[in-house]
Amino acid sequence: MKRWDLIVIGTGLAGLTAARTAVEMGAKVLVIGRGMGSLTLFGNTIDVLGEIPPGADMATGVADWIAVHPDHPYARMGWSGISEALNAFRELFPSPYTFDSVGRGNSLVPTGAGTMRPTYLLPITMTAGAGMSAADTLIIGLRGFKDFQGDTVSLDLQCRGVNLSLPRYGLEGLTALALARLMDEGPFRESLGEAIRRQMAGEKRIGLPAVLGLKAPADVLKTLETITGAKVFEIPMLPPSIPGTRIFHRFREFLIAKGATFLLGNPVIGADVKEGRCEGITLQNPPLLTVYRAERYILATGRFLGGGIQADRERISEPLFHLPVLQPESRGEWFRERFFQPEAHPIHRAGIVTDAELRPVDAGGRVILKNVRAAGSILAHHQMIEEHSHEGIDIATGYLAVRRALAS
Amino acid sequence: MTQADQIPPPPRHLPDLCVRCATCMAVCPVSRVTPLFPGPKQAGPGAQRFRLASQDSVDDWIELCSACRLCDTVCPAGVPISELNLLAKAKYLDERGGTLRDWLLVRIDLFGELFSRFSAIVNPLMKKRAVRWLLDKMLKIDRRRNLPAFDSPTFRQWFRDRPVVTNAAGRPRIAYFYGCFTNTNEVDVGKAAVACLEAYGYSVSVPPQRCCGIPRLGVGDLRGARKMGRRNLSLLLPTVREGTDIVFSSTSCGLMFRHEYGPLLDLPGAEELATHLFDICWFLLNRHEEGQSAVRFRTLTAKAAYFAPCHLRSLNSGLPALDLLRFVPGLDIRMIEAECCGLGGLYGFKKEKYAIAEEIGKDLAKEVARMKPEVILTDCEGCRMQIRHLTGIKVLHPLQLLRDVLP
Repeated sequence: MKRWDLIVIGTGLAGLTAARTAVEMGAKVLVIGRGMGSLTLFGNTIDVLGEIPPGADMATGVADWIAVHPDHPYARMGWSGISEALNAFRELFPSPYTFDSVGRGNSLVPTGAGTMRPTYLLPITMTAGAGMSAADTLIIGLRGFKDFQGDTVSLDLQCRGVNLSLPRYGLEGLTALALARLMDEGPFRESLGEAIRRQMAGEKRIGLPAVLGLKAPADVLKTLETITGAKVFEIPMLPPSIPGTRIFHRFREFLIAKGATFLLGNPVIGADVKEGRCEGITLQNPPLLTVYRAERYILATGRFLGGGIQADRERISEPLFHLPVLQPESRGEWFRERFFQPEAHPIHRAGIVTDAELRPVDAGGRVILKNVRAAGSILAHHQMIEEHSHEGIDIATGYLAVRRALAS
Repeated sequence: MTQADQIPPPPRHLPDLCVRCATCMAVCPVSRVTPLFPGPKQAGPGAQRFRLASQDSVDDWIELCSACRLCDTVCPAGVPISELNLLAKAKYLDERGGTLRDWLLVRIDLFGELFSRFSAIVNPLMKKRAVRWLLDKMLKIDRRRNLPAFDSPTFRQWFRDRPVVTNAAGRPRIAYFYGCFTNTNEVDVGKAAVACLEAYGYSVSVPPQRCCGIPRLGVGDLRGARKMGRRNLSLLLPTVREGTDIVFSSTSCGLMFRHEYGPLLDLPGAEELATHLFDICWFLLNRHEEGQSAVRFRTLTAKAAYFAPCHLRSLNSGLPALDLLRFVPGLDIRMIEAECCGLGGLYGFKKEKYAIAEEIGKDLAKEVARMKPEVILTDCEGCRMQIRHLTGIKVLHPLQLLRDVLP
């Protein structure tokens, strides 16, 4: 059985970034995902640190923030490392479907829940949402598409909203994927554009659910903007996320073209650990168990949803390498009093503690496995939900973990 | 009927593994093109929570699942979605009784050898519009679908009658499961497989074998599938037990053997067979990378595209054919970025499903039109049929191309 240079476990943005970084460095890479990873769940924009106020310069904002958060994963690479990794990510998305910031910092974009959220890099299809104001925006839903109600979303955004019918296309019961596929077709998006134009009352911006095509989103945007004469933007909504699926497809296409091997759909259920090194991992595809071996491993299995860490009634554990998990002293301290409140629940800080090279360490700070590095949300000391830092952590740590791993 | 022949209800906890994340809704090819099928989340774990073994099935759309299994490959929670669908479909069809068409189609292996013998008569007949019209009207086999021509002699006859390989003594042995379609409809795939295995230094045998039974699973006939499984296990296990591994060139047969005989059909000996059974391209790729018997392919300057069949993705051992094709000097080989060709085996032949299969396939055809390859390569005979039908471009099994560049 062949030996790989690097095995990445996890196909979220951290794992995919790690795999792509390794492939770019010439490594033979095996990527293993239990499923498709978190991109189809929440992947839309690239959050880096939502706590930096919109408009403020990101470079100084993040650097200052790191100074008072010395344990945070970002402290491992600083702003220069974060921006290097983000630039590498952006290179994967050449024109016309690009990711950019609006100005030098965060911007606020509307969500399918009718709220505004801060984010850093936006795909070209969402940029116009960053400048929306209640007065100049029309929100469009599609009657029959249950996941996004234009008139409800617009209520909270305090702008006008309508749900359109396109009787010729029978949209009743269509899924986000089916709609995105229709959008990729010229005639459909032209009909949609015309229907939107008839609804407009002087608005300068049009918000639509984030289903503007899977293959050719920039073309969909162009068609709609040409017909309506307005700026058009997508609004992130319920899973499955079409923008996230685009990101996943782009990574997969790139990785396979560069010779990486992709295994998707089965869990890694065991690791062969000897003398402080991982010698192999076992994939379970019933009834078969297959061992894969590499010089180095990246653990990017996420948190509770990804299965990177799991909780029983008392404790939180890491199921694959049985690494120590930083966590509150007792279960009673996992949650705050109310589910929705501004401060993070302490359980959200749980995760794997590492050294500067992202190698997991024990309570005494000693490296546990020399050739295993952790990346992404499985790391301790962040509160990605409240900080709005999920994608930034994934990209920055996935990148750094591999740069360090392959340097060793 | 023994207890084991009953359609088993799935374990109660399976639907509850589903966290409703909807990732499967990002890949299902059927719900991508039609709202008639609610998609894997709803059809699988969603509906399963309301199904009782004692109650009649009410899921009229369950038959629209094409059993591509892509949902299984993306589920982060480990829900065996396609298996839930398959068992629900089996119950649905069991209650209603199957159609004559389905009964005939899943037994095509029985007629195949006969049709092959009379291919000179059968092939022209199948091209006749009147015959296709009749099949359409009487059996609801869609007349717009080309019916695959039969080869004569069969692969098995060719293998039996070919000249004895003189330098076979002392070579490592490998057994080949060719599958029904190679045997009677695409004999050249079998010939290419034998040529490639021999080029890598193996002595090839073809143990007696029957249809793997996956067509019967497709129409919910678990009893029939089990019967085929038992027969194949008794035919193939002796080969394995004498120390010879088996390779397959048909992805879906391989998936059936490796992952359905055991986990789904619970057949004794299935696991033993599974551990000695390999995708032929995976097997050759591993030999190639070990370097001991690396074959130096001749240069072939051509623009080629590779399509990964859904069932190959379920086998989950990478894209070995693509990796192997990359060793051919001069070959510009790229992956077709499309999910599912749409045919779904017999699914796309059925009149009521033809339009769905075509619509799914359009996405693949668009990618191909963009790439403009001279030749398309894919491991599955169903995909090959569908891609020929959709694009008119030459479509081969990867081994057929590799055979042509052997030193």
